Order: sequence, then structure tokens, then C-alpha cells
Amino acid sequence: MAEDMSIESYLAAGGVLTNPTNVPPRYRAELMKLMATFVDSELAGAAGFADIINQGPGIKERIAAAKIVLEKTDNADKVLRIMGEFGADTGRYATHHPWTARLDRDADIGQSRSEHDMRLAVFNYPMNGWTDAVVMNLLMGRAVAVQLAEFSMVSYQPLAEAFRGIAPVEARHAELAEEGIAKLLETSEASELQSSVDYWWPRVAASFGSAESQKADTLRAMGLRKSSNAELKTRWEAETKAILEKLGLKAA
Amino acid sequence: MARFHDLEVTDIHKTIRDAVVVTLKPTNGAADEFEFTQGQYLTFRRDFDGEELRRSYSICAGKDEGLLQVGIKKVDGGAFSTWANEELKVGDTVQAMPPMGSFFTPLQADDQKQYLGFAGGSGITPVLSILKTTLAVEPKSRFTLVYANKGVNTIMFREELEDLKNRFMGRLNVIHILEADAQEIDLFTGLVTEEKCAQLFEHWIDIENVDTAFICGPEPMMLGIAAALRTAGLNDSQIKFELFASAQPGRAKRKSTGQAGTTQGNTTKAAITLDGATQTVEMPKDLTLLDAALENAMDAPYACKAGVCSTCRCKVLEGEVEMVANHALEDYEVEKGYVLSCQAYPLTDSVVVDFDQ
Repeated sequence: MAEDMSIESYLAAGGVLTNPTNVPPRYRAELMKLMATFVDSELAGAAGFADIINQGPGIKERIAAAKIVLEKTDNADKVLRIMGEFGADTGRYATHHPWTARLDRDADIGQSRSEHDMRLAVFNYPMNGWTDAVVMNLLMGRAVAVQLAEFSMVSYQPLAEAFRGIAPVEARHAELAEEGIAKLLETSEASELQSSVDYWWPRVAASFGSAESQKADTLRAMGLRKSSNAELKTRWEAETKAILEKLGLKAA
Repeated sequence: MARFHDLEVTDIHKTIRDAVVVTLKPTNGAADEFEFTQGQYLTFRRDFDGEELRRSYSICAGKDEGLLQVGIKKVDGGAFSTWANEELKVGDTVQAMPPMGSFFTPLQADDQKQYLGFAGGSGITPVLSILKTTLAVEPKSRFTLVYANKGVNTIMFREELEDLKNRFMGRLNVIHILEADAQEIDLFTGLVTEEKCAQLFEHWIDIENVDTAFICGPEPMMLGIAAALRTAGLNDSQIKFELFASAQPGRAKRKSTGQAGTTQGNTTKAAITLDGATQTVEMPKDLTLLDAALENAMDAPYACKAGVCSTCRCKVLEGEVEMVANHALEDYEVEKGYVLSCQAYPLTDSVVVDFDQ
């Protein structure tokens, strides 16, 4: 019991950390980046959807969109609070930045982030009306499900627990999108939806990061990653393709 | 952000030779901020020879006891724990941040659950808080504690646990595992390892019906127990950990900041260490340390670039830099040489910074 063990070998053996006091500096940095990426993506995603609410074709659709905005903001708050325990100024963080800002729809930024926030690249593209937003929400919602399943196993226990609580909420958002698409298909042209799928598919796929991430081994040793970017992307492609086919659409 | 408050020591007594139980009362109307949940901890700060030390200690009181109490075991060479054990007295004022931590699960009065706690040495403090609160709030739940210690005379709260067994008759089971002292049953001697747990699960602990397990102890013990629990079928959401790494240093070393002459030059030679590798770059003085690192293809961590999130924190070992904004670091961190690299511009002709500290 008295034997000594370094935090690094403890983590490599699958140990978990539980509070900011014993987190090594490089682990802290990677953990903060992971949390900032999630918080920024949720805040930017919620901000993008907020603009779409009133384009919903009916009251039920508007309620669903408003609920998604509320819950994504709430999910951002849950993780931001953990960043706060590491010293982040949470009040200022949420409001210092223009989360609604978007690039042009045909900007080609690949996987790069913007200068000033850590949102996933896909959240820099604007949505083109209600139908487009619902399609984006389905594709990205499925990607978030895959990513949250992965990050619910991170070695920082408070964050793993937050993600486990968030996962079913985000899963419901993707379900709402699936229901929304089925409804839209009753009245609109499938080709309009298909063109949105074609637009968002490669952009959501890019959010899984590059196939040869140099950090993978370091992150794995820290217990912050288990699967590779490529494995997660493959999982998303297979799952989402099946959902699209069921709806009569096809993956790009 | 959490702030420090003054607390008065209203009682202090030894639980074993080298551990004290300290009862605290918030002053200046901060009582509400110190409402806690079972299993949480307090972070204290104190100045030792001009250097601020921060240490976290778990609350050992139950939620229903109306007391704010922490247990502090003396660690060899530990400045704070030695001071608390040898000098702290009733009437003294200490400073702590409001309770933090998520080492607990929500309780429901009509739940009928089986809890399993593992504690190693002073790791008992949060587990004691959890078991007292749980048994009081959930009258139908049961708690089994596996408590590892060197020998009989190093068992913190030994008598209190006996009293609790009587108070919660039949609902609290305590298994003492002693490293050095022989016991009637061989299984209860030695270290709490993965194998030992597996043996306990055979006859002594009804592992199949355990709803949640709590583990607080040193790293190798936590790993072994967690592995045994997973093998026995518990999933990660059923296992709660609390680790107060033995790696908390006794006393931080003060780094002398070189007063290397400030001059009028417009560039700085910056030696930047990241992931164990050091690059020396020539950078203009109107560029931040972060941007200098990024421009030189170093993968320095950052997120907000607005001095808010503290992701980009690094330590200045030599030379001087100036931060234009700081919404994240506290005074004591700045005193130790930490800066937000996204906000930090070099002032001297050479600087040495480290992202790995």
C-alpha cells in the first residue's frame, strides 16, 4: 500500500484522476483543450440553432428547436463548470465571444479551427434554412453520440461523469432530427434534403480529426483517448449511413 | 470562481497519534457557502515562509451532523499537515475554499441499496462522510467498508466506526485489512490487492448486489480494487474514485527569477519547453509567447486566447514577461511565475518558459 507510483504510470495503467490538485501540467493542458472544444462547439451549435427556431414550419418543430438550444447551452455549462474548477472565468467565458459568427457556406477550411475559439470546424459553416439545419443536426448529432461514447471513458472522473449525463440528452437531439426529416419528407422534395446531406456529410466527417494524429499515443497513455480518430469516424459512417438509408436518403 | 473564506477552529483532537480531526466554523457570514455534500473536500491555503501552499482535505462529517470537520493525517515532510498536527489550536483562523468534489451519488430516502466502500489509511475521511450520511438518509440501505491500514494503532476513526456499527445495527459491516498485524482470519492480513478483493467477493462481500462502490486510497490500491470490481461485473458509472495523490509536494521550491537586464531591443530570445523538448526562438517583443510557440510549429495548448480559460498556462523560469489581461490565474500562481501565454509579452531580451510545469 505504501509503494509509490507516479501519476503517469497510474494513468497509463487505467487510473482515474478526480480533482485539479493532482493533475500533471501536460494532462491539464490536454484536458482543458478537450473541454474547451466541447464547450465551444455546444455554444456555437446552440447559437446557430437559435437563429433557426422561428423558421420551423410548425409549433412542434419550433419547440423542438428551442429545446435543443436550451439543452446544448446547459450541456456547455456542465463542462464549463469543470473548467471553472481549474481556474477558468466561467462567466466571462460564455459571453466574451460571438458564438453566432459563421464563415461563408463555401469556405473551405478542412479541419482547421478559427483563430479565437476551439469549436469543431463544422460549426463554422452557416445553416441554410430549416431543412438544412435539421439535416445538419442529424449528421452532427450522430457524430456527437459516437464522440461522447468515447469521451465518457476519459480518465478525469468529473468530466467522464458529466459526459455520461450529457450523452442521452444529445442522443435525443439526433432522434428529434430523424423524426424531423421523416416529417419533412412527407411534404418536401427528397432532392432538397439530399443536397443538404451532400453538403454536411464531408464537413461532419472532418470533425473527427485527421487520420494520423500525432498525439494519439500520448492521449492514450493519459487515458484521454481509447479509440483512434479513424475508428470513430468509421463507426459514425456505418451508423449514420444506415439511418439515412432507412429514411430513403443516401450518404454522400 | 471559488474564493477563500476565513474559518475558525472550534475543536481539534487526535484520532490516532499522527492525525487530527479539525472542526471548523465559517466566519463573516460565509456559512451558506460551506454547505457540503458527503464526500466533498476543502482546499486550504497557508503561507509558509512567504510561499503559499494549498492542500485539500476531505470532510469526514456526515451531512446531517451539522458540523464541518476534516481529518488531517501528518505526512512525512508535509509542511501543511505537520503544522495542522503540531501547531494548530482552537480559536485559530484558517482559510479554505467552499467544498468541492463529486465523490458521491445522490441519495433517496426510500432507496434500498447496497454500497461498498474501500479506504486506505487517511482515505477513510470522505468514505466516513459518505457512509454516515448514506445510512442516515437511506434507512433501508446497507454499507460494507473495507478499510486498509498498516496496523491496529494507525486506524483512524476506529472507535467511531464501532459506534456507528451499533447505531446502524446490521446495516454497516466493516472489514479491517491490516498490512502488518496478524488477524484471526488470514484473508484479512496483507495489502488490498486485486486478488485480495476477488477473494473477499467469494465469501465476504455480496458483490453481485452492489449498486455503487467508492474507493479512496493510494494509486496502486485504487487500480487493483477497480480491476477486481470490473471483473466482478461493475461498470464505470458504478465505481466512484477519489484520489489525493501522494504526489502533492511537501513544499514547492521557489525558483529564483533571473533579473537579466531589461534593454531596448525589439526582439527576445525565448527558450520554450513543451512536451520535454526545448526550442529557442527569436521573437519580436510585440508577439505573445503563445503565438511565438505556434509560429514555430510547437503544439502549445490554448483555447480562448482571451485570458479567460487558462488552457495556455506556462511557467516563466527566467526573464520577465507582462500579461495584458488575466482573468484566470490567481495571485499565488502569478507569484510562482505562471502566466497565460496568450496574454504574455516578453520584456527582457531573453526568457525561458516551460509548458510542462
